[in-house]
Amino acid sequence: MTVAGMLAAAAASDRGGVRAVEHDGRETFRSYRAVLQEALAIAGALQASGLRAGDRVALVVPEVADFIRAFFGISAAGLVPVPLCPPAQAGDLPTFTRQSRHILAAGRANAVVTSADVAPLIDAGGLEPEPPILTIDRLQGARSLTAPMDAAADSPALLQFTSGSTAAPKGVVLTHANLQANLEAMTGPCGLAVTSADSAVSWLPLYHDMGLIGMLLSAVCTRDDITVLSPVLFLKRPTAWLEAISTHRATVSFAPTFAYELCVRRVKPSQIEALDLSSWRVAGCGAEPIRPETLDAFADRFAPAGFRASSFLPSYGLAEHSLAVTFAHGGLRLDAVDADALVRTGRAAPGANGSTRVVRLAACGRPFPDHEVRIVGGDGLPLRERHVGAIVARGPSVMRGYFDDPAATSEVLRDGWLHTGDLGYLAGGELFVCGRTKDLIVRQGRKHHPPDLEAALADVPGIRASGVAVVGIGRVGEDDEVAAVIEARASAAPDDLVDRARRRVRETSGLDLDRVIVAPPGTIPRTTSGKVKRAEIRERIKAGTLLER
Amino acid sequence: MNIEQDTVAILKRISRRPIDPKPENELLKDLGFDSLEVLELIGELEEHFSITVPLNDLTHIRTVGQIVAEVRRLAVGEEQAS
Repeated sequence: MTVAGMLAAAAASDRGGVRAVEHDGRETFRSYRAVLQEALAIAGALQASGLRAGDRVALVVPEVADFIRAFFGISAAGLVPVPLCPPAQAGDLPTFTRQSRHILAAGRANAVVTSADVAPLIDAGGLEPEPPILTIDRLQGARSLTAPMDAAADSPALLQFTSGSTAAPKGVVLTHANLQANLEAMTGPCGLAVTSADSAVSWLPLYHDMGLIGMLLSAVCTRDDITVLSPVLFLKRPTAWLEAISTHRATVSFAPTFAYELCVRRVKPSQIEALDLSSWRVAGCGAEPIRPETLDAFADRFAPAGFRASSFLPSYGLAEHSLAVTFAHGGLRLDAVDADALVRTGRAAPGANGSTRVVRLAACGRPFPDHEVRIVGGDGLPLRERHVGAIVARGPSVMRGYFDDPAATSEVLRDGWLHTGDLGYLAGGELFVCGRTKDLIVRQGRKHHPPDLEAALADVPGIRASGVAVVGIGRVGEDDEVAAVIEARASAAPDDLVDRARRRVRETSGLDLDRVIVAPPGTIPRTTSGKVKRAEIRERIKAGTLLER
Repeated sequence: MNIEQDTVAILKRISRRPIDPKPENELLKDLGFDSLEVLELIGELEEHFSITVPLNDLTHIRTVGQIVAEVRRLAVGEEQAS
């Protein structure tokens, strides 16, 4: 079934709908039948504008209700949505302009659908093809389609860019079959076992996989009600998330660890008193390392409001696998392992002994039916339980590939297995995630590519353009530590440089550098082709053999 | 209600490090705010002054002075409307 076909099926069942809560608190409810009618009208206008089946349409819409009808409109017209982060969430305007232009170029977008407010901020001039900018309020007046266009199960349904990467933006191509397989896995009996008694609340961005696929499309697929809050509203007032769950007696809501932390820190006692979270049976947690301390603190703080710690559902997933790879049932279950052995020998040895440094990792569960997960060593062969290796996955949820990038695709799709770039081990058949093989840096659920951060640093005055390296140093169970190595010009004062470097990175990516190391020219190790050897830098930083000032 | 004083007090409360905000200071560049703290600030200002900050402001407003001016504009608008 196609994505828009799923919406049509929900509409025909006459069940369920979407409540959109905008950044200013404005609420609107539409049944799936009403969403379909709006989508079919937009689809008609898109077709009338000359777009053809399979064309890619970028979607930059900050308003929740508008995003949803535009997304399904694009889908119903047989086009491929390419969701983008809107300007208010991109950090600042230059970042938005740069990121959106790169994605429009890399995705070879045939059109952009956006709001009247955002349209003037989009720079698509000179791109080949140069996409027309269509504002959503003008996508009407054409003849509505009578039903969504059909499409082959193995044709692209969604082009999801994994980050606003400037160096190498990679678009994950997901087919209708991919999405259906993952949605059935997540909502089915081995997943959340969703029934008509369930309803969802989400504040997650709709331009990301967890919000779009995990929350919105899951609800459409099961024909249950969903309340979608603007992420801006949640970040301004985290209690809005919990109030929505309380008011609508919601049963399912997912978020990264940092959202639970934000609630602990910012929801006031008087606000907790007014909450009833007893309906919340699935408090999903994913998209970044699961920090047991944070979830424990959340459970303690919100127990008086009826929250049950057994509702926590740790999960593991990635965009290249449509979304979910594993779900862990039965709350937060921890494996206490010897941290030193984990790092030095790659063994997850139970570390109950009081004399060893112990790290607690959350069980992330087992693969879904028809899906497989393995832990493999450097030779690609499966490892035994409790041996740390690369996490690989196989099955119908695995993406078709990266858009227009066969080299990057063949790097991660090998012999039918998706190489996730994450490290983990199996214990009792369950997956535990404990690091990354790739250079990707993850902070507060956002992914950062070191080459982007390096590009931002390259033109800071006093820094040699070719003398910058940024690495993420994995810390078990928490966010990565981010370190920048800067080869300074002799004339620059180190303190000023450190200051300027921190500011620039914060400004362009919203990321705080944990460590800035100013070093003489020639410090950064490179391959013969000039690529930064990040693994070596990481090791030397850990060993303390890079000069730190 | 002194809009400037109250805004500066809220800025100081939200910042995770001691700051002395001046009108020309940029939130991200000079005061070390990250994007989460900026939204926390907007939320606190909205609650304190009973205003709604338009989404577009988030992309255009950079300095303390601009924030104070925008809060003043919005707060006066609310008063006149009520």
